Amino acid sequence: MKIESREIDGAVVVALSGEVDLQHSPSVRKHLMDLMFERRPVVVDMALVDYIDSSGIASLVEAYQMARKNGTRFILAAISAPAMRVLQLARLDKVFALADTVEAGLQA
Amino acid sequence: MRILERPNTLPAGLADDLDLIAEMTADFARSQDIEETLRIGIAHISTRMEAEAASIFLMEPETGDLVCRACWGPTDVTGLRLPKGQGIVWRAVNRNATELVKDTSDDPDFSHKVDANTGFITRSVLCAPMSVRDERLGAIELFNKKGGGSFDGDDRRVLQALAASAALALINARQAAAMAEQQVLKRELALAADIQRAMLPPARAPEFPIHGINLAARGVSGDFFDVVELKDGKLAFAIADVSGKGMNAALLMAKTASLFRCLAKRLDGPGAVLAAIDAELAETSSAGMFVTMIAGVLDPASGTVTLANAGHEPPLLCCGAKMDRIDDGMPPLGIVPELFAQGCPETTMQLNGGALYLFTDGLTEAGGTAAMLGADGVAARLAPHRMRPAPDRLRALVSGIVEDGMSLKDDLTMVVVEDCRTAPVLNRQYQARPASLAAIRRALTPALDRLGCPPQVVPDVVLAVDEACQNIIRHAYGGGEGELIVQVRGDAEMLDIRLIDFAPPVDQTQVCPRDLDDIRPGGLGTHFIRSVMDEVEFLAPPPGAGNLLRLAKRMGGAGP
Repeated sequence: MKIESREIDGAVVVALSGEVDLQHSPSVRKHLMDLMFERRPVVVDMALVDYIDSSGIASLVEAYQMARKNGTRFILAAISAPAMRVLQLARLDKVFALADTVEAGLQA
Repeated sequence: MRILERPNTLPAGLADDLDLIAEMTADFARSQDIEETLRIGIAHISTRMEAEAASIFLMEPETGDLVCRACWGPTDVTGLRLPKGQGIVWRAVNRNATELVKDTSDDPDFSHKVDANTGFITRSVLCAPMSVRDERLGAIELFNKKGGGSFDGDDRRVLQALAASAALALINARQAAAMAEQQVLKRELALAADIQRAMLPPARAPEFPIHGINLAARGVSGDFFDVVELKDGKLAFAIADVSGKGMNAALLMAKTASLFRCLAKRLDGPGAVLAAIDAELAETSSAGMFVTMIAGVLDPASGTVTLANAGHEPPLLCCGAKMDRIDDGMPPLGIVPELFAQGCPETTMQLNGGALYLFTDGLTEAGGTAAMLGADGVAARLAPHRMRPAPDRLRALVSGIVEDGMSLKDDLTMVVVEDCRTAPVLNRQYQARPASLAAIRRALTPALDRLGCPPQVVPDVVLAVDEACQNIIRHAYGGGEGELIVQVRGDAEMLDIRLIDFAPPVDQTQVCPRDLDDIRPGGLGTHFIRSVMDEVEFLAPPPGAGNLLRLAKRMGGAGP
């Protein structure tokens, strides 16, 4: 699994790729929470997520809750089909702010 | 204040002597090549001790002769050999004491032969033996004090000290050389063991019907097992134990193994294979060596095994709780060729969903006569590991024996032949840790495909199993070490996945899906499992296990 961050228009785009499972979700969580503590607007690019489990979803939920408390932007963008399937199973597809593309997420 | 006057210099002669001893001792200690050091040292010693000539004699271990290995002075006597005798050098060595002969003409032991050959005139001699404890290594001999005088008591003490440190250096150098030689031997033995291990069949996927394990009591083994795929889809297998241990046994094992590989594909049936190996061994083996061996053929399609046994430990057929010894057999191979002239009888049996265990007597003998494992012991040791995939089961059994402090007196080899018709399509054991989850998912996908699980359902089932494994890792083991077995079975109706762990029993009332309206991290996993699978239940775990979780899904049924 890989986590890559880049800054675009003052927001941080965090691109996750590969398998976000119990082995790797702690580093995803830490990465996102560090950005949340800095109150940075974040767009998570999920186009290349092949797999995500409950621990990966939990990391996203935690970051989302923090963003909401802080009033900062936290958007899941370009969600791959396997990741979307898991979000739907968790019925969280209606909870998160979603965007079809990273660009749309940045403009939201 | 009165200052006590203290001499800050030693008497000149004593200081020089101490310098010489210190220098030579340091040279000896540093030396990589002690005889070379002695050659250089002898010149130094002679000059400093004002001798006209000097020789160093070392004891030659093969002959017991004293041979001159280094000398200094007007004549070269290197190579001079002194057979055990009465000369002054021998006297010093025999008495293990320094000999001071002020005038050789007074000493009846002095041999004039060397002087006669070399033209050197020996007036006085100082000879110190080199020895460490009781081991006599040789002697240092000085000739004629320069200026016409003779050696004195001080010279004697100095040479004695030098000889003692030279002796220590010599013995160190010899021990180092012996150790280096042993290292070479050890490397060669390790290489032989490597080659031998390479002759054993490679590890197969756990679902393969035949597995074996071999543990050598020493570097090389007299045991072997092998599996050969035959053209008709059947599998030929063998286990054998060569009499004796060490290199001889290993070489005979290599020969037997090659014969089996070659003959199993050509001859019809295990009896014919054993008879042919016997004929070959009886003709060419060294006397007193023999081989106990079982050859067999498994027909995976029918679960039928045909065996031939030549003097080997009877195998065990385990079917449910029933254990049967398969006692039929012949004497060992390689003893009398006539024994197998009529071939070797075969026994045929049905595995009936069970497994056949073959082992060498390393297993039944481990621990010595008092605690012989015996066939019953093997059965008892197998019981707590029955649910494990075959390779892990064999490893658990063997490590159990080693951990119990039973010494491995003989090589230990075990082979299991299973009925793959009733076996799970996936049967794997993993370490219960997050790093194993990716491997579990990788193994699950093709197994689900093979069972005909619809492609859109596969990722959901993989997620559900992953989540259930996470629960085992995080909750059942609580982050501690342990193992996790994943078994996948199924047919057109039902997909049946079983997760077995060895953790303390889980309190099932604590396992419930979270309320989805409560958006909290965590607790999602159980919800995933229940959403995807049709049946989720804890069953009574098999003996030795902690928990058994069954996850089932109706095949072709509508997804959630």
